[in-house]
Amino acid sequence: MDIDFAELGFGTNFGILDWCIVVGYLIAIVSIGVYIRKYIASATDFMVAGRGLKTFLAIATMIGTEMGLITVMYSAQKGFTGGFAAFHIAFAAAIVTLLVGLSGFIVVPLRRLKVMTIPEFYEKRFGRNVRILGGTILAFSGILNMGMFLKAGAMFVFGVTGMHSWVHLKIIMTVLLGMVLLYTTLGGMVSVAVLDYIQFVVLSVSLVVASVLSIRFLGWTNIVDTVMEGKGMAGFNPFDEAGFGWTYVVWMFFLGLVSCAIWQTAVIRACSAKSTQIVKRIYVLSSVGFLIRFLIPYFFGIAAFVFVFNTTALREVFFPASGEADADLSLLAMPIFLSRILPTGFIGIISAGMLAAFMSTHDSYLLCWSSVLTQDVVAPWFKDGLSSKTRLLLTRIFIVTIGLFILIWGLWYPLGQDLWDYMAISGAIYFIGGFSLLAFGLYWKRASRVGAYLSLFSAFFAILGLTPVQETFSGVLAPVKRLLGLPPEEVISSAVVGLIVLATAVVLMVVGSLLFPDKGQNSYHAEREES
Amino acid sequence: MDWVKIWTFFFFASLSVFACLSIVVTIGGFFDIRSLFKD
Repeated sequence: MDIDFAELGFGTNFGILDWCIVVGYLIAIVSIGVYIRKYIASATDFMVAGRGLKTFLAIATMIGTEMGLITVMYSAQKGFTGGFAAFHIAFAAAIVTLLVGLSGFIVVPLRRLKVMTIPEFYEKRFGRNVRILGGTILAFSGILNMGMFLKAGAMFVFGVTGMHSWVHLKIIMTVLLGMVLLYTTLGGMVSVAVLDYIQFVVLSVSLVVASVLSIRFLGWTNIVDTVMEGKGMAGFNPFDEAGFGWTYVVWMFFLGLVSCAIWQTAVIRACSAKSTQIVKRIYVLSSVGFLIRFLIPYFFGIAAFVFVFNTTALREVFFPASGEADADLSLLAMPIFLSRILPTGFIGIISAGMLAAFMSTHDSYLLCWSSVLTQDVVAPWFKDGLSSKTRLLLTRIFIVTIGLFILIWGLWYPLGQDLWDYMAISGAIYFIGGFSLLAFGLYWKRASRVGAYLSLFSAFFAILGLTPVQETFSGVLAPVKRLLGLPPEEVISSAVVGLIVLATAVVLMVVGSLLFPDKGQNSYHAEREES
Repeated sequence: MDWVKIWTFFFFASLSVFACLSIVVTIGGFFDIRSLFKD
């Protein structure tokens, strides 16, 4: 990691002015948030995102909350390693979100149930114990999923500001964690529509301008030719087995469904809308947001690849003769590229917008997972429930604990694969079981408690999609590799692992439900038939 | 299938749509906020 890019002749354009912009913007946006919360508290209903907002403000809020620094970092890395073929992921996300919006699949019946968390649905449909197990798995998977957030955010600051020592990265991660915890205790800003609007304007303008500047700097023909030279057709054709391949494309379409209809933050958005018609409208309009949140960062990653590939000194660092660059280094490519081509001042604005989004993302996820632990894992054990004081104390303890975990995990865990694939697999521990319970629980009367348990437990095997886990259990996985026709030293792709576990979870749900049906009529479907 | 042409069109079309949407939402959102504070 100790590579001084300035010594290689690639100093950053990030200067004193940019530092002032970043610090000033963050102070301003937190102050506005605190002011609005404190002095206009009585008008919460006017301010809360997604409830009764007018169309343009609702769209700004929706897209503004989708474009975070973490999304930009993992997507840029995917563009860097996959080339133009990575665009298929953005296409899949947009198409699936549009189809969910038109059909109302999963989100409309969930909205009718008026649940606010997935484990709440588990209890309504399968009983209290399934809620506790499901909540535990959801929190475990969600916290593991955000385990690399802090590191990805620190890598952006590290790359864009031109720091070059591993020690600097550790310091940035610790400072960022301190900022996030302070920000969360100040109340955060995630739900203030006015601030989401400001974020939308800053980020959308700066992302479009940065795209245009990248094309001007590199030239479109040069970009296409370099990707062709560096990656061949695999850099364009997503079905090419030398690149992504069929299984990966299918896995991405499933991920598109997960990120818009099954992931906890998406469910909150669907369930807090005024009516089922509005849920559908939000999803149809969201499809543009889901497309752009991936597409522009993929392009930044592709542009960073072209920049590195055409520069001998950088090429030797990123693509050493001994093989591919490691995952940490490919994460750094985009911020280094942007810090080189964007003018001083503008780079401060884009960094400030990204960091504000980074804090808001952490704020909402920390609150989300700590409240799942409090409400869905701890509270159901107490007959009389928890007092609001105890709930608040527990939530705060969980927030600090999760914060410390992501600091330690980010410093210690050897990524070994693209961040997007790490997030897909760590999330799959929850969402494979979640998909099975939601789809069958909502649309199949005979789905039973035993089927739900089997489905939830089987999803744990998704953890085998993480490269370091596979390396640890390489002996156990040898027969599976032989069955798939893979050489012993090769890693089973995360997409193959994900799809096999998904199929297993679905089969177990069906078989478990048919062999061990629930006694008596299920109250959820009985209520539904009555209504 | 000419993937180079497909992705080139896809990228520029999406970027143009998003740029237009951003302008419309920025202006419309400003008036929404104004009426929000008025309410």
